Amino acid sequence: MPVWTLYGIRQGLATTAWPKKGGNDGQQGLLGFPRYHAEACENGCRACADACLPGAIQLAKDGSDSECLSIDYGKCIVCQLCTEACPTGAMEKSQEWAFGARHRDDLLWAEALASAPAHQLKDKIKSGFGRSLHIRHVDAGSCNGCESELQALNNPFYNLHRLGIFFTPSPRFADLLLVTGPVTYAMRDALLETYHAMPEPRWVMATGTCAVSGGAVGGGYACGHGLDDLLRVDVYLPGCPPNPVAIIQALLLLLNRDKQRVKGGRLAQ
Amino acid sequence: MLSDLLILTAILWVASFVLALIERSGLAARVCLVLGCAAGIVFSIGGLNLGIAPFFFPIHLADASVLFRLDAPAFWLFLFGIIPALLAMALSTSNRSPRPRRYWMAGTALALLGALGVFGLQDALSFLIAWEVMSFGGAVMILAEHVHARASSPTLFMLALLEVGAVALMLALLLLSNQTNMLSFAGFSGLASSPKSFLVGLLLLIGFGAKLGLLPFYEWFPAAYGSGSGATGVIFSGVVLNAAFFGLQRGACTWLPKTGGWSTGLAIVFIVVSVLSAILAILYAFQEEDWRRLLSFSSAENASVAIATLGISLLLSANSHPVLAALAWNVALLHLAGHSLAKGALFLTADGVFHASGEYLICQRGLLRRTSTVFGIGAVFAAMSLAALPPQAGFVSEWYIFQTLFQATQATTLVSRLTLALAAAGLALTAAVALATFVKLFGIGLLGDGYEGPAPISGLRSGAVFVLGLCVLGLAVGMPWWLPSLSTANLSLFGANAAASMRDGLLLVPLSNKFAFISPTKLVIAMPLLSLVPIGLILAGRGAGAPRRAPIWYGGLREKPREIATTSLAFSNALRTFYGFIYGPTHDIAREYHHAPYFVKRLVFNQELAPIFGPYLFTPLVRIVRFLATGIRALQSGYLNFYNALIGILLILILALALLSR
Amino acid sequence: MNDTLESRVAPTDLPDLCQQLLQNGGRMQMAYARYPQPGTPPEVVYIADQAAREPFTAFRCQLDSNETCLPSLATISPLLGWYEREIHDLCGVRFEGSPEPYRLVLHEGAMPPLPPLDPQFHPVQPIPFTPSAWRLPELQGKDVHRLPFGPVRADVLESAQIVFYYIGEAILHCHPQLFFKHRGMEKRFEGVHVEQAVLLAERISGVSSVCHALSFCQAVEGACQCTPPPRAQYLRVLLAELERLYNHLHYLGHLCHTTTLKVGEAEGKLLEERAKQVNAALTGSRFLRGLLTPGGLRRDLDTSRLYALLENLKPEVGEYMANLEKTNSHLDRLITTGPLPRQVAFDQGASGPIKRASGIDRDLRRDHPYAAYEELSIKIPVKTEGDAHARAQVRMEEIDSSIELIKEVLTRLPNGPIRVEIGPVRGREGLGWAEGPRGSVYYATHFNSSGRLARVKIKTPSFSNWRVFPFTVHDTNMMDYAINEASFGLTMAGSDR
Repeated sequence: MPVWTLYGIRQGLATTAWPKKGGNDGQQGLLGFPRYHAEACENGCRACADACLPGAIQLAKDGSDSECLSIDYGKCIVCQLCTEACPTGAMEKSQEWAFGARHRDDLLWAEALASAPAHQLKDKIKSGFGRSLHIRHVDAGSCNGCESELQALNNPFYNLHRLGIFFTPSPRFADLLLVTGPVTYAMRDALLETYHAMPEPRWVMATGTCAVSGGAVGGGYACGHGLDDLLRVDVYLPGCPPNPVAIIQALLLLLNRDKQRVKGGRLAQ
Repeated sequence: MLSDLLILTAILWVASFVLALIERSGLAARVCLVLGCAAGIVFSIGGLNLGIAPFFFPIHLADASVLFRLDAPAFWLFLFGIIPALLAMALSTSNRSPRPRRYWMAGTALALLGALGVFGLQDALSFLIAWEVMSFGGAVMILAEHVHARASSPTLFMLALLEVGAVALMLALLLLSNQTNMLSFAGFSGLASSPKSFLVGLLLLIGFGAKLGLLPFYEWFPAAYGSGSGATGVIFSGVVLNAAFFGLQRGACTWLPKTGGWSTGLAIVFIVVSVLSAILAILYAFQEEDWRRLLSFSSAENASVAIATLGISLLLSANSHPVLAALAWNVALLHLAGHSLAKGALFLTADGVFHASGEYLICQRGLLRRTSTVFGIGAVFAAMSLAALPPQAGFVSEWYIFQTLFQATQATTLVSRLTLALAAAGLALTAAVALATFVKLFGIGLLGDGYEGPAPISGLRSGAVFVLGLCVLGLAVGMPWWLPSLSTANLSLFGANAAASMRDGLLLVPLSNKFAFISPTKLVIAMPLLSLVPIGLILAGRGAGAPRRAPIWYGGLREKPREIATTSLAFSNALRTFYGFIYGPTHDIAREYHHAPYFVKRLVFNQELAPIFGPYLFTPLVRIVRFLATGIRALQSGYLNFYNALIGILLILILALALLSR
Repeated sequence: MNDTLESRVAPTDLPDLCQQLLQNGGRMQMAYARYPQPGTPPEVVYIADQAAREPFTAFRCQLDSNETCLPSLATISPLLGWYEREIHDLCGVRFEGSPEPYRLVLHEGAMPPLPPLDPQFHPVQPIPFTPSAWRLPELQGKDVHRLPFGPVRADVLESAQIVFYYIGEAILHCHPQLFFKHRGMEKRFEGVHVEQAVLLAERISGVSSVCHALSFCQAVEGACQCTPPPRAQYLRVLLAELERLYNHLHYLGHLCHTTTLKVGEAEGKLLEERAKQVNAALTGSRFLRGLLTPGGLRRDLDTSRLYALLENLKPEVGEYMANLEKTNSHLDRLITTGPLPRQVAFDQGASGPIKRASGIDRDLRRDHPYAAYEELSIKIPVKTEGDAHARAQVRMEEIDSSIELIKEVLTRLPNGPIRVEIGPVRGREGLGWAEGPRGSVYYATHFNSSGRLARVKIKTPSFSNWRVFPFTVHDTNMMDYAINEASFGLTMAGSDR
């Protein structure tokens, strides 16, 4: 019979050093949200908007007669169709996926980067949490992609525990409600009940594009449009699904142990 | 003065017996019963401190005057049995129609009178009469109540087993009186260690064990208790049980020889039988789904634990450790005292459950939420005591039992030490299952949620349960002051005063404070002080506004707590599976299908446990009796020719004998 | 419909035809209803599997306007029970003599004004819902504890409520209440262009993105009779097997979690992570999304480094699985746990590794080959024990055979184009299928006259296997439950859609 302890030791350290500097985060080659280069965009072309299933890219009239794109990364399902449809390369494939944001507006593409200071953390989060965080996850109708990545957080590579972050079985011990899925009619009450069962202070994180906006599947007879109609969300993390590193970054953002990277729909350089 | 109170008690009970039979409302009988109990309490408290003079009845039985005398253990056991009895009398049986109530009170008066006789009468003949009166009174109580539609069969079973015991007692008393040709107990003590003394000891164990619920006799307990009310249970598990134990310890400690191989052997038999009884009884108690039946098995368990302690005392006596023997004897009395009070409280709680719901089933009804706090306090104190949780009386006696066992490692012979070690293991198992049993009883029987409506349990009953609960705590807290009352008995029985060395100031110690100590007295002072911390936190938190209350968490959906409450079986089934070789459980699942076997429409579930002795001992016995009865039935056939033939055969036999003897 | 022998049948003939089908060794695969035209009564389509390498059988039964009732076939072919209930919930067709005439996909208390799949039902109209109790078998006996668990369960799990009739350790009856996650995905396909619809198919069940997308693409290709180029076909096999690989590794890790083999759990999940990182490096998506499209692939893949990565992974996976098979504490918890008899597996519609662990030797990759499977050598493991261990063994052997398949694909990968234009699809119908990690996926697609999707029916393996699962739970005990559930490797998202 194998001695698993020895086997485990022999396998060596599997955990990444990330988020320390120089650590390999394991996301090489992973495609993220398409990067928009407004200067390369052709007026009158609507290829990307037509290709976009969830309607994240839309043509909006601005002040003048010409149309301009309004891009909501909170709706983007990272399908890359727009980058393939774009004739000019204005929509470019990127490896930018750390889109955790405190405000929904930060996920909207804006011409000029908002000059307002990055949204500062509420002080009470720090005093309330210190460093540890307990999460109650609720699946409100996801495709199981987000769950797969959430489960991956506890694999030896990411080893979420080392960061003092834990999933708890009962909402009674939870600080954070982590929701995936567009919120189906049948899960709506269960979701609110779970939130209600949590002690204060409590926070909510919308994980995955479905929970942020409903994404490609929101609406319809059985689905809502994410959490915004139901709960006050503290962190939005779009992605389809967001990869484990993006999730960890969003959690650290909530804890004020990392800074928000996305502003005006693009990553700060 | 005290003798007068004793006579008053007896007169009041006789009066209540008569009044119960003739007066329609039954109120006077009830008042007499209660007053009698009150007088009994006063005189036994007085008696414990002062003792009373022997008392001669002005009647003669078999040419001997009838002597009545109570000694310290009698006062002790009577007192703690009579306190819950008083409250049970005041609340009366759970059958509320007047006629059954009256007959029940008549039976109770008989049982109480019988018990009093068992405690005090000092000769074999009057003792046996009192013993039978006590049993008869008990049978009348159950039959009168008609709580259960078919009470007669369990009552018969009970009486049959009690009669087996009575016959054994009679034999024992005959053997003992043979010694001196005296029926008075005074002459019983001269027996030397011999097979005869061993036999007498066994007969006493069988005789009293039938009432105390030793194996296999405990099997009458659930059926009999389960056909009566909780009030009946109070009497059975209190006064009656204590009286039987009193009889056993008197016989074992005063009539039988203290030393010698046969005495050691007898002590070991006492220990083995009672430890096995305790284990079996508590295992069955844990599985019960009826308040009364669970409590009845628990009574058998506690009585067995007391007998085991008595056996330990005998063993230590035989090994010439009088102080330790006295310690063990004291512990047995402490144990029964705490048990009577706590069991009384829970039997009254069971009647409360019945009044609230019309059944004695142990299931979650949210009773605790709907009744007064004092009811809950009383019930939880009693349950804690029976589960042996500190600082209650049950914990004190349990602790003393194990301390005695640890001390008794000094016992000289290997066999004795081995017996004690195994007894310790057995009693530890018993204690663990007892804890689970009372967690189940309290948790499933009283807790829960989801019921609406007014308080289902009257203030009077709540008060009674509360008083008994406080008595349980009081017994533990006041232990340093109660113990000295056993000193005289220690000295007279063992020649050593263990009771005096069981306390050290407010500490309770097993003979010396070097070994171990506890102090419920100090604990009840310290624990409320500790509670100041959470109270302080609550008060400090009040500034932040009213707390937000969230409903029970059921995984996201609102459920009706009542519909998904843990059932009694769900709580105990794991142990049932594990000890399947003892329980012999049977589960019967029937599924009704819609069209094809894949589509279940309805599930019918039934479960049962097999009693151990029922199929292997009692059923064959009944069969033998029936077989014999069938065989001898011919004698009753009424055919003239058959009788003529018999007479003819008899004549021939006589003639033959006459011829042969010439 | 492609690869299908179709017959239009009258409602009254259905029971006899179904009997005949079963007698000839066939098995029902799915049933669904569609509205051929807005405002007309629905047509119910039954699709069955006859024998290997033979066309599927389809019974099509058009209801007329005054008759919305069909004879229930659930007592003949029990696996149809759930399909009938789904058709009733979504299309309002009643089934006469159904043994379980209750809600399934829609919860009790959901009150749509029209059947949700009716074209006249507004696509974004939420249905009114007042939660009410499920239909459970009637229960007699005061001892039984009704123990609901979920929908928000411990750990990071998908939402579903498992109701137990429980007596302390022993489970008398188990009722999984699913469809908390019903998103109305089939309705979501309506009116969508095929290229975008693939994205929806990828999001039916996130961890089976490839087999859903593949099945959908093949349904579209079947409808327009187009064949993707060989390189695309080979790459599709590659993607499908990579998906099987990371899913099965996750399965083993999770199974170790339930048998409390901690190092085994860590190792399984680490191997899964490494497989996912290989996916990301190869395709840009850890779930292999965004590649498949009707007609081929959207992008070509650079597979040059894959062979080496697999060579690295293979011995580790091999040692890991060999160790699992030598660990008594692990095996003790699996062997004889949750046995699924062959007959129950067949009748109730068990799919994929579950059915192959119960002795049913069927695999779409071999029996109805698609993509490039015809040209590749596949080993299909079959076990007959039907217990949790057999289910684990089948998956372990599939890991081996997947790695071999990928390597074979890499060595034989042809060069050339990866995409062809698909032909016109107006008014066409197509059937597509794929053997996913959890079992068979079927897509039936119907196009409207403007070439957009009018109706998509998705048959998922979890829908089939959830139906089977409770039959292995009745009369078992709670200690085994989690192990048994893990040994099935189910997802809710796939089942609920």
